[in-house]
Amino acid sequence: MGVEPDPGHALLDLYEEALPQVYGYLLARCRRRALAEDLTAETFLAAVEAVRRAPPPRLTVAWLVGVARNKLVDHWRRAEREERGLRLVGSSWHDGFEDPWDERLDALLAREVLAALGPHHQAVLTLRYLDGLPVPEIAECLGRTVHATEALLVRARRSFRSAYDERKEDPDA
Amino acid sequence: MRDPFEALREDVVPVEPDPGFAARLRERLERAVLDPTRDWRSENMTTATRLRQGDIGFASLWVPDADRAAAFYREVLGWRYAPDGQDLRIEEVTPGLAIRGGEEHRGLFLGYVVDDVTRAAERVRRAGGRAGEPAREPYGLAVRCEDRQGLPFAVYEPAAEARAAAEPRPGEVCYLTIDLVDAAEAREFYGAVLGWEFVPGSVPDGWAVRTGGAEVRPMTGLWGGRERSVAVPMYSVADIGAAVARVRELGGTGTDPQGRPYGIEARCLDDQGTPFYLGQLGG
Repeated sequence: MGVEPDPGHALLDLYEEALPQVYGYLLARCRRRALAEDLTAETFLAAVEAVRRAPPPRLTVAWLVGVARNKLVDHWRRAEREERGLRLVGSSWHDGFEDPWDERLDALLAREVLAALGPHHQAVLTLRYLDGLPVPEIAECLGRTVHATEALLVRARRSFRSAYDERKEDPDA
Repeated sequence: MRDPFEALREDVVPVEPDPGFAARLRERLERAVLDPTRDWRSENMTTATRLRQGDIGFASLWVPDADRAAAFYREVLGWRYAPDGQDLRIEEVTPGLAIRGGEEHRGLFLGYVVDDVTRAAERVRRAGGRAGEPAREPYGLAVRCEDRQGLPFAVYEPAAEARAAAEPRPGEVCYLTIDLVDAAEAREFYGAVLGWEFVPGSVPDGWAVRTGGAEVRPMTGLWGGRERSVAVPMYSVADIGAAVARVRELGGTGTDPQGRPYGIEARCLDDQGTPFYLGQLGG
């Protein structure tokens, strides 16, 4: 009597169903198999710890995909730190201004352009557009204020757009 | 106005990962669930026990063409790789394994743990083998050697954290057979160099290797009267029938799986002629 079922076992029961979802989510967004595997492993191992906390999260595939999203954001954060010393971040454009853009995006080209952006820009565009999250949720994921997230989103859209236009004009560049 | 960025929307599409990866991760999760007191995130190190003198702590698979071998073993064993100097290191396996190309030897180069490499190198020379100078390698301080039958190996002092796997997982070396032209000479040599002891095995001129009163890790046997001296790994697989079929598809050869007291095994050659066994042990 009094033996609580280990929530870890419930996680194992969910593993077969959740694994392709988590891996598929990560692979489509980071597009590198080894990285997707690493992040998948991190996701499930983090889940083992999370289900032991009180109160435990409701254990669903959607919750695991949310954990995977956090691992992806952590990855971009690490990548951003590593790149910061190398890249010239300086942009002379002021924040908050955007020309209207009416363009039908070529999906394949768009994904290539996205993958070539800096990690912060990839992160915010992925969460906003691939995942379809509202800005306040993105702000929470990224650990920023809503205002800072909006500003980041504007900058990210702008660098995406300029890279996209450039690639479209000169696809071999 | 329509926002062109909305076209980027991507719903989650399930993708089956590599089965080897899925099995390894499941096993890690099971261990993490069963034993919450340990830190399973620090890799598979925690399942393991400390290496002793005479244990094999790393191995390098010597083949003529490293990329070709990488493709072959990825398909058969689910190996994943990280470049490591001139080698391809196999990720998440114990003992540590790497592939080295440009070698006609076609076999496993073994790294034996010792307490003191300088003294071990002395013992190699005294026993009639050859030994080079100590060099700092990623896995520890190592000396490259050759036994009296020309079989290359290394002795090394492990860098911290050298461990042996408690239970071999799919894709890992679960058993080693050292084929030898002359087993009697080899017993004398490795006995003197590594302190190995030998117990008669199940085949004529076959010997189980022990160190410090226990089986050497991974489990190892010497087999005498063979055509050439070569260390042959047995890799653990979950489904030996499927693995042998894969070997054959990829241009290798494999015997039909045979039952043994310890499990089911098949002797194989990869598509470059490198010998190995597949083993589905226990269960």
